[in-house]
Amino acid sequence: MDIFTMIFWVITLVWLGFSLKKDKGKTLKAIKMSGGMMKGIAGDILGILLLIGLILTFVPPDTIKAIIGDANEVFSAVLFALLGSITLIPAFVAFPLVASLVDAGASIVPIVAFLTTLTMVGVVTFPLEKREFGLKFTLIRNSLSFAFALVIALAMGVIL
Amino acid sequence: MTFLKSQLKNNRFLTIVILAYVAVGIFAPDKFLPSLGNTWYYVKEMLIIMPIIMLLTSLISAWVPKETIENAFGKNSGIKGSLFAFLLGSFSAGPIYAAFPVCKMLLSKGASIANIVIILSTWAVIKIPMLITESKFLGPEFMVVRWLLTTLAIFLMGYITSRFVKPEDLPTDDETATAVDGPLALNSDYCVGCGLCAKIAPSYFKMIAKKASVINQTLPPGDNLAIKDAVAKCPSQIIRFHP
Repeated sequence: MDIFTMIFWVITLVWLGFSLKKDKGKTLKAIKMSGGMMKGIAGDILGILLLIGLILTFVPPDTIKAIIGDANEVFSAVLFALLGSITLIPAFVAFPLVASLVDAGASIVPIVAFLTTLTMVGVVTFPLEKREFGLKFTLIRNSLSFAFALVIALAMGVIL
Repeated sequence: MTFLKSQLKNNRFLTIVILAYVAVGIFAPDKFLPSLGNTWYYVKEMLIIMPIIMLLTSLISAWVPKETIENAFGKNSGIKGSLFAFLLGSFSAGPIYAAFPVCKMLLSKGASIANIVIILSTWAVIKIPMLITESKFLGPEFMVVRWLLTTLAIFLMGYITSRFVKPEDLPTDDETATAVDGPLALNSDYCVGCGLCAKIAPSYFKMIAKKASVINQTLPPGDNLAIKDAVAKCPSQIIRFHP
């Protein structure tokens, strides 16, 4: 376990200890809630992890590197931003997926574009958002998120 | 058999991947174990991080005073309102669509367009348990830089959207679920599937295909504390109760 994860384990356990001591019922109820949410997506998580195994076995790192490592960064960023916009998977399932691609030599620019649009741009949830906030708001918010996802991705490519 | 069927339906993605594995086992048996081996590495990483995510999400939902934050919104809340919007999004649980009803409620309390954009965006991308996962799999440096850039982008987006969209542009209808006859209503489009209402008040709510449903509209005399508790605890605040 790396030091960063360890620190979070310590923080979480200490907080949990205090929380249990202060209000046991409230704490347990909250744990039940997030446990229920986790259970709901457990199948998806396992599915993604198994899919990662298949991808890494069948697609050699050289191929991954050639497609999203050495290719034109702007082009691959736009492509992955589009991919992220139409995909609906919980973000933290996406982290191991993209990490496996980065480990195989993918450039971080398309990866960041994907991660950002994955959560901020919602093509699937567009009708719901439109119903609640109207077409204009939804269109502007999603377009801005898409554009900024590309800016963030390209900026990260320069910084890191 | 029906149990198996509902499991298959609820886990369609997993089922497809498992079928792919079966195909691999038959047609390319030498790739079967390496695939599982590659998966195992990420399963281990996930198991290390999952319990913290679950516990932190619970602790945040139990102890961060959401009502105080929500009450701080208003038309003239200025930069303070934006900061609160940012905090509310960061400390919430569930996917972005769970934020829609919450934002709708805040709009009716007078929250500005800019702040609604800020909540929606932070709710989507910036969440403490998420950041931990990101730093675990992609490195702390990656996480911090992306966080800084995204935060900047979110405030800019809030400002830009508020220049183009005016409050009149938003639909005014509220209470999309009032057309139901009975004291309880629930808009399951926004249900995140936590199952808490079904646990708190099992005689009124039931989880059907991962979404909550109202199964009973007849209330016993009394103050119905269980229902009120379920209404208050719902992470996306979708339960309406009019006794």
